[in-house]
Amino acid sequence: MRIEEHPILSFERGRKVHFYFNGKKLYGYENESIAAALVANGITQLSKSLKYNRPRGFFCGIGKCASCRMRVNGVPNVRICIENVREGLEVETQEPLAELPSREFDDKGIDTLECDVLVIGGGPAGLCASLEAAKSDADVIVVDENFKLGGQLLKQTHKFFGSKHEMAGKRGIDIAKELEKEIIENNRIRVFLKSSVFGYYESDHGHLFGMAQRLDDMSEKVYKVKCKSAVIASGASENFLVFPNNDLPGVYGAGGVQTLVNVYGVLPGKKVLMVGSGNVGLIVSYQLLQAGMEVKAVVEALPKIGGYFVHAAKLRRFGVPIYVSHTVKEVYGEDKVEGATIVEIDKNWREIPGTEKRIDCDVVCLAVGLSPSVRVVSLTGADIRYIPEAGGYVAIHDDCMETTKRGIFVAGDLSGIEEASIAMLEGKLAGLYSAKRAGKDVNEDKADEYRKRLEELRAGPFGERGRIAKEKIRRLWKECH
Amino acid sequence: MKTDVVIIGGGINGCSLAYQLSKKGIDVALFERKYICSGATGRCGAGIRQQWSTRENIILAKESVKIFSKLSRELKEDIGFRQGGYLVAIHDEKELKEAEERVKLQRSLGVDVKIIDKDEIKEIVPILDPDGMHAIGATFCPTDGHADPFKTTFAYARRAVENGAKIFTHREVSKIIVEKNKVKGVVADGERIDCNYVINSAGAWSRIVARMAGIDIPNRPLRKEAIVTEKMKRVFDAMVISFRDGIYFSQQSEGNILGGIPGPDEREGYLYQPTFSFLNHMARTLTRYAPVLKFVRVLRHWTGFYDVSPDARPIIGEDPNIKGFIHCHGFSGHGFMLSPMVTKIISDYISDGKDSDYLHSLSIERFKGKDISREVSVVG
Ligand SMILES: Cc1cc2nc3c(=O)[nH]c(=O)nc-3n(C[C@H](O)[C@H](O)[C@H](O)COP(=O)(O)OP(=O)(O)OC[C@H]3O[C@@H](n4cnc5c(N)ncnc54)[C@H](O)[C@@H]3O)c2cc1C
Ligand SMILES: Cc1cc2nc3c(=O)[nH]c(=O)nc-3n(C[C@H](O)[C@H](O)[C@H](O)COP(=O)(O)OP(=O)(O)OC[C@H]3O[C@@H](n4cnc5c(N)ncnc54)[C@H](O)[C@@H]3O)c2cc1C
Ligand code: FES
Repeated sequence: MRIEEHPILSFERGRKVHFYFNGKKLYGYENESIAAALVANGITQLSKSLKYNRPRGFFCGIGKCASCRMRVNGVPNVRICIENVREGLEVETQEPLAELPSREFDDKGIDTLECDVLVIGGGPAGLCASLEAAKSDADVIVVDENFKLGGQLLKQTHKFFGSKHEMAGKRGIDIAKELEKEIIENNRIRVFLKSSVFGYYESDHGHLFGMAQRLDDMSEKVYKVKCKSAVIASGASENFLVFPNNDLPGVYGAGGVQTLVNVYGVLPGKKVLMVGSGNVGLIVSYQLLQAGMEVKAVVEALPKIGGYFVHAAKLRRFGVPIYVSHTVKEVYGEDKVEGATIVEIDKNWREIPGTEKRIDCDVVCLAVGLSPSVRVVSLTGADIRYIPEAGGYVAIHDDCMETTKRGIFVAGDLSGIEEASIAMLEGKLAGLYSAKRAGKDVNEDKADEYRKRLEELRAGPFGERGRIAKEKIRRLWKECH
Repeated sequence: MKTDVVIIGGGINGCSLAYQLSKKGIDVALFERKYICSGATGRCGAGIRQQWSTRENIILAKESVKIFSKLSRELKEDIGFRQGGYLVAIHDEKELKEAEERVKLQRSLGVDVKIIDKDEIKEIVPILDPDGMHAIGATFCPTDGHADPFKTTFAYARRAVENGAKIFTHREVSKIIVEKNKVKGVVADGERIDCNYVINSAGAWSRIVARMAGIDIPNRPLRKEAIVTEKMKRVFDAMVISFRDGIYFSQQSEGNILGGIPGPDEREGYLYQPTFSFLNHMARTLTRYAPVLKFVRVLRHWTGFYDVSPDARPIIGEDPNIKGFIHCHGFSGHGFMLSPMVTKIISDYISDGKDSDYLHSLSIERFKGKDISREVSVVG
């Protein structure tokens, strides 16, 4: 179902287009992802699991979980959550092991691109890194897998806290638009959308990456990208929880649902159970209320609410119960979510029998943290360590955001899960120093300013985790050198 | 610490040795500096082929196939053994002649192998284009196959531990103690372990390990790259190889197509970074062989090492000068398929002093000034 009226958002859906799903003609809009258009048409089962052939819906909505793979124009295994709808597209469900491609394309050859700084990921960190490097006269290429820039910012419709330098008081979505405009106007920056960086290769000097760009006819064009330095800002993927039927269509990542509702104006259901009361869980719950969904409850395993008081207060005003010391016991339903059972847990995370409650819902949102997407950075040989406070495996880096691999920088959620203002500042630092590594004269006074603001942002009680993570990373960095 | 036998290396050979020796009641301790399967074993194609050019390799491989086919039962775990056959391309009349000779030898030793024509190539692997392959025919042996290298190695390791073997991972052997030309022990992470035997099954690092005992071996580490594609519906069972192009590829039970080829930038040394030139060369050759794979994506690409001996044959057995130092290396890219027999020969020697022709023909001494007869049927 598509939202027609929203208190703060108007959806720029673009032109209405027709496409085919398993031979049936459906309509969508040119600015929608195929996944969003299908959900809007009431189709929630997108794929089947490999081993047991169980129905699967989408989960992350940003190309990271692969549970939305379909055959598009004869090409199997397309992640339809990052592929835009186009007139006449033929979309089909596939068996768990897909048939070979049935289409033929011309050999497009391999082209080589050269730049000073390659930026991988077009979220807030990557966009700020690109701008900063370009301001220091570096030629920049910025790459993102999605068909739009902005990363996770695109769906953040609430006003930001934090420092006014990082545009506090503005909505994430507007920040993304401003950054995008600046990027497009800057002629030192080349943007590659629908393009995935897939590998890192031996080279005599500088760095060599492989990149594949998805073209409109669903073929792919491969590039070798040579650069003097690189900023990797590939973000994070949402965590999963273990409970019976956790893979039923209707169990979604909170971020995935936020994308669907705030970016595309598509509702995945009517009644939601939110799992997790950190800021993501609280904010997304509120946004779902704004969009006209009913939030049945928020459950939190810890004995207290994780996120900011103001966000929790807003939910309470709408009468949404927040159950602390509770978790999901199971979800039930035939081939989609038809309800869930929650249960109270004791100090040792054991379920307390007799405390089960049934929640009548058709969507279960998991807002249980994120894990850095370290795959690309780990290919470069940078030292990767497990740091719980950073959300999992992260690349060890110094206070210029450079990893143990010279010339390879990280920024944003990839360098430790925090938030968007921090991602932007880290992006600026990485952009500045990657330009320096590429041989540009840079103004390092700016770096001190960025570091000071990062410190301020991490000073509050909610910055504690990030602070601890960065201290550990710094310590490990020193050990490595 | 004290033990009878110290095994250096937790690959297929080290773990199989730990299993065989511990089954015989011998005290063993295995040291692996990273994790089980972190060497060539976890990076290999794990193809099992009996179509070799020398009598020795044919018999070793054939006897190994016998062991592999019963191994799931023996180890009480599925090792993913599958006999989909090996299809070896023949590109011209000269190769056809050589193939006829090989097939004659292989058949005389009881291997079920035959020469097939272009039509039969397509029957066995429908996605192949014999013209694109520049093939006039092929040899095919239906009992060749594949096993899962992880499942096999871990099954050996688990059963070895149940038999009382000690397996230490993330522990590197840094020193071998030799007194009066006899092995006395090793040092791992600063700790001394006394023992009577040391087995060098350290793969591409075996020359470094041999140096620890003052032994020079002629092996070279050669970087080898491989890819797997995304998972696709099963379309063929055989491993396809060509000695001329050096390519090998097969479809795994899970649906991925795995393969390799000698890369244009292949160099000696401990080089871990993959090369773009390999990816390009592999993709071009693979899609020449099987054009329908043109639009299948590559999922992963990695490097591993062949531990290459001068004649591409393994080096096994006790060192002629240092008593108690056992060689088990130099597999030159086919150490997975030979491991069942090779490790059996070595463990029988250690436990019962049992001799074998192979302990002579594959001894380190063969490189002393003698003529080297090289195994030529090598791919990858
Ligand atoms: C549901 C949710 C709500 C949040 N709410 C807030 C909030 O209210 N306030 C706040 O400050 N923060 C919030 N955050 C956190 C904030 O969004 C992130 O910290 C921030 O977006 C991180 O920015 P980033 O640039 O590091 O990564 P991302 O924004 O995740 O961007 C990473 C980009 O990299 C691309 N990419 C990844 N791999 C590749 C590759 N191999 N090749 C090409 N491209 C690639 C991805 O497509 C993606 O676009 C929220 C996060 C989530 C998930
Ligand atoms: C790309 C590729 C494809 C291949 N395809 C095939 C194939 O299809 N069929 C086939 O039969 N073979 C194949 N091979 C070859 C096969 O993988 C090897 O011959 C076999 O795995 C060797 O096993 P191993 O146990 O002797 O050595 P490895 O698996 O290399 O194990 C040696 C171990 O020793 C450890 N080590 C080294 N030094 C020390 C030390 N000082 N202390 C402690 N531990 C140490 C290492 O960490 C390593 O784990 C292939 C190899 C590669 C690289
Ligand atoms: S990859 Fe599309 S929903 Fe996760």
